[in-house]
Amino acid sequence: MMNKIEARNICKQFQNLEVLKGIDLEVAEGEVVAVIGPSGGGKSTLLRCLNKLETIDRGSIVIDGETLVKDTSSGVEYAPEKDSRRIACKMGMVFQQFNLFPHMTVLENLIEAPVQVQKRNKEEVIREAEALLAKVGLLDKRDVYPRKLSGGQQQRVAIARALAMKPSIMLFDEPTSSLDPELTGEVLKTMRELAEEKMTMVVVTHEMGFAREVATKVVFMADGHVQAQGTPQEIFENPSNERLKAFLNVILK
Amino acid sequence: MDYIIRIIPQMLEGSIVTAQVFFITIVLSIPLGVLLSLGRVSSIALLQKVIGLYVWLLRGTPLMLQLFFVYYALPAVGIRLDDFEAALVAFVLNYAAYFCEIFRAGIQSVPQGQYEAARTLGMDYVQTMRRIVLPQVFRLILPPVSNETITLVKDTSLVYVLAMNDLMRTTRNLVQRDFDITPFLVAALFYLVATLLLTMLFERLEKRFSRYDQ
Repeated sequence: MMNKIEARNICKQFQNLEVLKGIDLEVAEGEVVAVIGPSGGGKSTLLRCLNKLETIDRGSIVIDGETLVKDTSSGVEYAPEKDSRRIACKMGMVFQQFNLFPHMTVLENLIEAPVQVQKRNKEEVIREAEALLAKVGLLDKRDVYPRKLSGGQQQRVAIARALAMKPSIMLFDEPTSSLDPELTGEVLKTMRELAEEKMTMVVVTHEMGFAREVATKVVFMADGHVQAQGTPQEIFENPSNERLKAFLNVILK
Repeated sequence: MDYIIRIIPQMLEGSIVTAQVFFITIVLSIPLGVLLSLGRVSSIALLQKVIGLYVWLLRGTPLMLQLFFVYYALPAVGIRLDDFEAALVAFVLNYAAYFCEIFRAGIQSVPQGQYEAARTLGMDYVQTMRRIVLPQVFRLILPPVSNETITLVKDTSLVYVLAMNDLMRTTRNLVQRDFDITPFLVAALFYLVATLLLTMLFERLEKRFSRYDQ
């Protein structure tokens, strides 16, 4: 089966700080990959490189069979701006800070890009958006502005907004990290449902319960390297890597 | 009272010039200010610097001096404008500099996450600015824009120095002709009514555009 994401030897430096030191990541169709690890280990940066929110210094990224960026002897070469934008938006992205558009209602947030970017029929998009809102349990909030919603509700709207673009991959950048503990459950439940529908997902998370129960593959990153990867069982029950053991000891104590 | 009724038609006539300068300046300087601010926040270093210099020059010298410059100095390089055109050029260039700074501050106060969300949804620069950033900026900048607009109402009286028959000069002529200071009071009332109307307009706009963060 073709990989949905194939990232090879990703290197990324901010000024003098090497954040990613040659990362390989493969995500097959329908896979749910949880990326875990200590803060500052490069997890979010890796995710942001996949959809070109950050540009990489070395390496190659192929999304759904299309080359976003490739390595050449004289540095990396990105697909032309228009193509790379199109390739990047095959991946829906959910942010830690939700980033809903505050001047639009919930429904307007959902239909904005499908109508403006994909130029799809507005009535049809509205029907689909309503179905998505029903799915995340927020249809009654369709005409409300984001500020009126709780963090958990905003994040579910953000997930629905990303899904409205019909992405083939979903990226989650610490989707529950800025939520109050009692609100993380509703967001994780929505993500779990997505996983059950065989959506291909890459989730940067500190929720070990989610990584253990929902992920099909767990990637442990620290110091800009992938230190270990495998099934949740391999990572959580029989960790062999020393850094991973230390990390799990602290986080699961 | 009779006297006031007698001078009102003349003062209204003067107000037409004032109103023309005001409206044309607003209509031209706001879009110009938006364009300048986009250049000011762009990633092109040279453009940023040039616009920065422009803003510094236009905000750093008196508007009256700029009026004189456009009217008296530009003919030396072959650009000859009549008094009304010269006034408009000076006002538009000057106010665009102020609006540029207001919009720049507004654009920079929109969080980076908004741009990133737009980008992950496949929006290009124009779509991001037009649909996501500028509508949010618009609400933020209403109070300072309201301020500038009210200042402009009063600044129009500077065209006096180009001998244009605006409300101010008409008033002064009446005072000198009739040896009566009543026209000054009437003029004050005219300006006050204009600024009151603008204040009310901006209050309504602010209310309308603040609906989403109540």
